[in-house]
Amino acid sequence: MPTTNYAPTKTNLLRLRSDLKFAQQGYELLDQKRNILIIELLSLVDQAADYQERVESALARAYRSLEEAVFDMGRLKVQYLIGAVNISTKIDVRYRKVMGVNLPVVDTEYRDRPPYFSPMGTSFWIDSALDSFKQAIELLGKLSELKISILRLANEVKKTIRKVNALEKIAIPNLTEGLRSIESRLEQSERDMLMLMKIVKENLDAKRTAAMEKRHE
Amino acid sequence: MKYAIIGDEDTVLGFGMVGVQGRVARDAEQALRAFQGLLEDREVAIIIITERVAEMIRSTVDKYLFTVSFPLIVEIPDRHGPRPGRPTIKEMVNIAIGVRL
Repeated sequence: MPTTNYAPTKTNLLRLRSDLKFAQQGYELLDQKRNILIIELLSLVDQAADYQERVESALARAYRSLEEAVFDMGRLKVQYLIGAVNISTKIDVRYRKVMGVNLPVVDTEYRDRPPYFSPMGTSFWIDSALDSFKQAIELLGKLSELKISILRLANEVKKTIRKVNALEKIAIPNLTEGLRSIESRLEQSERDMLMLMKIVKENLDAKRTAAMEKRHE
Repeated sequence: MKYAIIGDEDTVLGFGMVGVQGRVARDAEQALRAFQGLLEDREVAIIIITERVAEMIRSTVDKYLFTVSFPLIVEIPDRHGPRPGRPTIKEMVNIAIGVRL
């Protein structure tokens, strides 16, 4: 134990006691924080996995439709058509706090004014691609919110675990050890003191009785 | 605020359809330039990046993903489907905190 060589004084004893109390309180709080963060993390992980699946299937559909559309109509024409589509997405990022961690909340707002182009001479695939991309982009906002939240929470959990371990495995045992050694030293010196007093008293008593006896003679 | 995308031509084309401005990246240099360009635009709140492009500039992406709070970055598969061997979200978390959930 590296930090147990405190001078065995009453002041140090009191100081160590309050330190230990503080460390234990900190440990309890951090332990709670860790548990709360992990619960939050777990609920987000499940949601995120779900969203990821949905985004990926929407995207897979979208890519396939787009490819078909390009086959049907030619790349150039598809590009022109896409230029004509008037959809604008607006997102709003806010933040919420969980145990002091900033987590983003994304709201996707979204304006479109169909019809975008004449159905004559355009491929069916282009409509389906459009639909799937719209779906994907709607889900993406939520997915990015969840993923970023998860990464930040995981980071915070990591930090908290480190702190909890430092308190549990190092700080608290060190303090208890120091406290115990000071206590035993103090007790020891108290006993020594007592013994000393006793000896002094015995000496005094012996002297006094000797004096009394002398006077009686 | 708005989305922006970095990816291959088809992805950018597709997302262009729903009003997302995009930049095409074919190699790491282009990807880095596109990424930095988007970071400067304060209007861009979410950068969508395809996994393949993100892989080219992994260290930069990760730096922003883990430390910087704005903009948000999200990776998506491109038209060839998800990158094989990609860690799932659960695995990512397990690696990050070193505990099995």
